[in-house]
Amino acid sequence: MTLQTSEPGARPAAPAAFSAGSLLSMLSIPLAIVALMVLGSFVSPSFLTARNLINILNAYSAVGLAAIGSTFVAVCGGLADLSIPANVAMGALVALGAQSLVGPVPAALLGILVASLGGLINGVLIGYVRINPIIVTLGSGFLLLGLAQLLVGGGIVYAEPSAFGSFVAGNLLGVPVSVWIFFIVALLLHVVLSRTPFGRWNFAVGGNYEASAASAVPVRFTKATAFVLTGLLSGMCGVLIALSLGQARPIIGAGYEFVAITAVVIGGTSLFGGRGSILRTVGGVIILALISNLIVLIGWPTPATGLATGSILLVVVAIDAYLRRRTGTQ
Amino acid sequence: MTEDAGHGMALQMRAISKSFPGVKALHAVDLAVRKGEVHAIVGENGAGKSTLMKILAGVYDPDEGSIEVMGNPVGTLSPREARDLGIGMIYQELNLVPDLTVAENISLGAMPQRGPFVDYRGLAARARAVLAELDADIDVGTRVGDLSLSQQQLVEIAKVVSRNPSIVVFDEPTSSLGEKETRILFNVIGRMRQSGIAILYISHRLQEVMEIGDRVTVLRDGRNIETRDVAGITPDEMVRLMVGRELTEMFPKLDLAIGEPVLSVSALRRAHQFEDVTLDVRAGEIVGLAGLVGSGRTEVARAIFGLDPAEGGEIRVRGKTVRIRSAREGVAAGIALVPEDRKREGIVPDLPVRENFTLPLIGKITRFFLVLAGRERSTVQQLADRLNLNPPRIERPIGTFSGGNQQKVVLGKWLLAKPAVLILDEPTRGVDVGAKADIHRIIGEFAESGGAVLMISSELPELLAVCDRIFVLHEGGLVAEIPRAAATEESVMRAATGQVDA
Repeated sequence: MTLQTSEPGARPAAPAAFSAGSLLSMLSIPLAIVALMVLGSFVSPSFLTARNLINILNAYSAVGLAAIGSTFVAVCGGLADLSIPANVAMGALVALGAQSLVGPVPAALLGILVASLGGLINGVLIGYVRINPIIVTLGSGFLLLGLAQLLVGGGIVYAEPSAFGSFVAGNLLGVPVSVWIFFIVALLLHVVLSRTPFGRWNFAVGGNYEASAASAVPVRFTKATAFVLTGLLSGMCGVLIALSLGQARPIIGAGYEFVAITAVVIGGTSLFGGRGSILRTVGGVIILALISNLIVLIGWPTPATGLATGSILLVVVAIDAYLRRRTGTQ
Repeated sequence: MTEDAGHGMALQMRAISKSFPGVKALHAVDLAVRKGEVHAIVGENGAGKSTLMKILAGVYDPDEGSIEVMGNPVGTLSPREARDLGIGMIYQELNLVPDLTVAENISLGAMPQRGPFVDYRGLAARARAVLAELDADIDVGTRVGDLSLSQQQLVEIAKVVSRNPSIVVFDEPTSSLGEKETRILFNVIGRMRQSGIAILYISHRLQEVMEIGDRVTVLRDGRNIETRDVAGITPDEMVRLMVGRELTEMFPKLDLAIGEPVLSVSALRRAHQFEDVTLDVRAGEIVGLAGLVGSGRTEVARAIFGLDPAEGGEIRVRGKTVRIRSAREGVAAGIALVPEDRKREGIVPDLPVRENFTLPLIGKITRFFLVLAGRERSTVQQLADRLNLNPPRIERPIGTFSGGNQQKVVLGKWLLAKPAVLILDEPTRGVDVGAKADIHRIIGEFAESGGAVLMISSELPELLAVCDRIFVLHEGGLVAEIPRAAATEESVMRAATGQVDA
């Protein structure tokens, strides 16, 4: 639970930390996932098959990587990274475009590196120069996407067949490699956010920047690194998509920034910093994936996904705000 | 009360009880406030003052009890209904819009209109009238953000007074005011009292209560311990009632062996803030840094620690010259700072006490990049016990603790970092008596272990009681170094106001 910050002087010991609200918010994500699954099993008998569920996850595992990065950005008080589509495009285009020059594996790494550099530009401007993250990533997003379009002239870059490419696009133990990658990265970064000093710094910087600076927390480094990490993960996202599809275009990641933010918010991470968790974001990604699949199974047109996602996002935020006000926290 | 209820009484609160999960904040508290009196409420943090006032303001509903305002029983109040009933609140933190003018702020939410438009002439006239009533000389067309803190507070008071309140609550109104501004405020309160407004005055500063109060109510552990005429009580008695025991000496001073210089600062300067500051603090010594608000004392402290680095001069720690351009370098050099503004720079409110404690050195409690959770918890729990953290629950967000206990954590966080020099900027501001004694004890123990302490305080009796030497700043320059034996309130004040022959 949070506390009132705008309150003067002496205050009584606030209500105990555990309330119906916090219990509800702890269980809400698993409950929502179960509810969606139950709903799905009524809609279509093919919903609750392992094959369908794996497919659902496969479609969202790449953008899920960007959502994981966005969790760090949100927790450290960096709001959101709007340059995700540009870094996804950069990662994808470089990973395919450089294949003929350096080979598939180095090309993939190069793609991730280039996207990380995009993240580094964001990180330096936001963390060290201290410009508003929305403005910075809006600008760098336009800039990098423009650069990407200039590079390929609006055309499509195709993958060359390679063992690496078919491995990434394929399955391992019956589960798509990109799903493996998503869960491994999520687990690793969950440990980073919840168990390492760097993770702790993210919460501190997002919770109170001034106090963190006065406590010798490397505030600028922390904020910058969150954006570098998001750039890197966006690059990975781009590489995964490019290798899975066998082709890449500059608009390959269009809209991913909003999917990432939505997953973060539905997971219950505060966009205003100081609170959040990677596991919750993974929950948010799964919920989004289930919704989009349900819409296809019901037979609604794909654009209805936006309608459903948007409604759920607003409802989640409204419930969260209501619960927090009711438990006396701002 | 001897008076019959409803007559002469602006407010009657009877048998008010309020519980929060796990805490009973108020036990059947009675409070009666007469029209035209200044009724002070004192008590330690957590005694229930704020809860009682929040019930009055309609922020909380009482579990039991009744409230009468001007003789009329009122049911449960919403904040808006409380306001409409004539209950005004003046909090420590002001509720003003800095980009609007004085006049606009005063009438915010109740703008006089001419048709669909704001009647700006009426607006200004109304503001002028209220300010004149308070004898406050402020141009109503000024942007509020351009006013001094004290003037902003007057605007806030004018805003409340313009709604013709019958009861006004002041919550720690002087905590960020200097001596002169406090005089102005007391004048205004005096005028409000004359016009028949009942005033509830909450303060930790007992001298002020003696000066401005007509009656005083002492709360302890959610109970009304006593309500008395101020004329018949002394500050010592109030303290005794507040803590429920006799505090024989409020600032016990340890007699320590003074060692070698630990911190030496020479010719330190930062443009427009301070010039040529040279001072030293030795092992086991507590040195005071006195000066009026704006004398540069906070700036000097921040420069030594590296929050706002110095632009020239030299800092040495244990004889070694150090370069300090950031707080990280300050910490690396063995310096720690407990900043002036606890809420802004001291705590991360949402994080648990444990994580606030270990913030500066979390990078060192690790193995293979992972935080050693068990070791962190046991270290923090030990320290929390030593500091008398109340309640001793280290997993609770620090923002839910009282100011005094928050301050203990800020202090404790630096003790964990084991600095050579501890700089304290107003370490006991807004802190209740019990916590204050704890904080002084902690500071004493740090000095005893060979640490060097540099302490800033606006409370002269505190500095005089605690410090071995006092440096005095005036307008950004050091004007005096006064040894303990020669330090009196008078000698320090003379230096601080610039009346010294160099």
